[in-house]
Amino acid sequence: MNEPAIKIDGVSVKYRLAKERPKTLQEYIIHRLKGRRMDYEDFWALKDINIEVYKGETLGIIGHNGAGKSTLLKVIAGVLKPTGGNVTVYGKIAPLIELGAGFDMELTGEENIYLNASILGLSRKEINGKFNRIIDFSELAEFIHSPLKNYSSGMVSRLGFSIATEVESDILIIDEILAVGDERFKQKCMKRMTGFREKGSTILFVSHSMDEIKRLCDRVIWLDHGRQKMFGDPYTASSEYLST
Amino acid sequence: MLKEIREITKYRELLRNLVLRDIKVRYKRSVLGFAWVMLNPLLIMLILYIVFSGLFKITTENYIAYLLSGIILWNFFSQSTSTAVNSLIGNSNLIKKLYLPKAIFPLSVVLSATINFIFSLIPLFLVIYFIGTSIGSHFYLLPVALTLTVLFSFGIALILCTLTVFFHDTIYIYEVMVLAWMYTTPIFYPESIIPERFNFILRLNPLYYFLSIFRAALYMDVPFLSEKLLYGFLFSLIALSVGWFFYNRYKDRVVYYL
Repeated sequence: MNEPAIKIDGVSVKYRLAKERPKTLQEYIIHRLKGRRMDYEDFWALKDINIEVYKGETLGIIGHNGAGKSTLLKVIAGVLKPTGGNVTVYGKIAPLIELGAGFDMELTGEENIYLNASILGLSRKEINGKFNRIIDFSELAEFIHSPLKNYSSGMVSRLGFSIATEVESDILIIDEILAVGDERFKQKCMKRMTGFREKGSTILFVSHSMDEIKRLCDRVIWLDHGRQKMFGDPYTASSEYLST
Repeated sequence: MLKEIREITKYRELLRNLVLRDIKVRYKRSVLGFAWVMLNPLLIMLILYIVFSGLFKITTENYIAYLLSGIILWNFFSQSTSTAVNSLIGNSNLIKKLYLPKAIFPLSVVLSATINFIFSLIPLFLVIYFIGTSIGSHFYLLPVALTLTVLFSFGIALILCTLTVFFHDTIYIYEVMVLAWMYTTPIFYPESIIPERFNFILRLNPLYYFLSIFRAALYMDVPFLSEKLLYGFLFSLIALSVGWFFYNRYKDRVVYYL
């Protein structure tokens, strides 16, 4: 059971906050010609993170705003290359960050299913096989041939959630609470997520709600100013987190 | 670098969808739809013909074919590169959130412009046929001219879209550059009007070689054709390798600046 899904060894991410970063090519050239060195201030968004997530585990990620939660997810998803350290991911990742980021409002629901699913790395054949299930879950069958600009925002996120969760992945990333339509549909989504857990998917879960963290997570990493403040039991972590 | 190519082939369904979307969205709200691909260069040619025919008609044989071939090839190059400038910053919401081989965005821009290019060859052939210009014996060079121009444009597109992430004013600088570039390329004037001492500008212009090969394939007797093929090939290769190297060198830093 203790097979690793994600290994994070000493990962650090440094942002260069330029005090006076040249914003234009012209400024840059003048800067260089004058022989001036760029004035940078280093900001460590993550510093020396060491965790191992096992297969089938649900890991909660908590911390105040700007603590590095999103940066950690980006490093795991392969969006950001860490400045130092190593990330090893065993299996396929599906990010559920901001549903429907890749939608095109001019295209129809059907066309957007193909576009969005291919953004998540699916082949045409795979999408064909999942197409009907995506429509069924989103409950948007009657609108599927109209352009997305005529959808309500709830309908758009419903479609996004349905596509992202149809991608069969080993690791699922869920950032913040899912604002997906009405209460009834939210329940349906929650059910689907617990289904993933039971099927043995690894889930990374970012939340500010300690109730959800305690209910869903096996272990928790608490980030504070880019450092790993605590890694372990969700009950201890959340009660200490609440007392700060 | 090879890994990036593998990743792009893995995401080929996305590439297909991006190209399709480009074409669909562009013509979705127009009545004539896709016909505009062919109508557009024809109408532009008509206007330029009215303006310039008085000027160059005597000096240039088959002026209509000369003009239309110039416009079509130039349009492809300027359209694909000018759109590609924005291709990374325009997709920042995706690039910042999930892993994608980023080169897929400039590539899709160049490919959809290529499809437009190929379709706009139809009115070109029609015009050539109706005005009675005969297709030359170098017709086999058509795919060569096409490939060289497409690869060159992709190389330039890679440089531009990467540079724009770090320096936003690349967009405006390139806009001006394209205009100057257009006037230094013999699109609507014959190259014979360029004074001897400015000939070096022509010889340094990659588009000049692509255009010469393209026109040779269509109808024109182009002197020193093999030399032009050699230079065209070299410029293409250089642009593509510099672009690919530049993009790969900076691609991991792009996310930090978007």
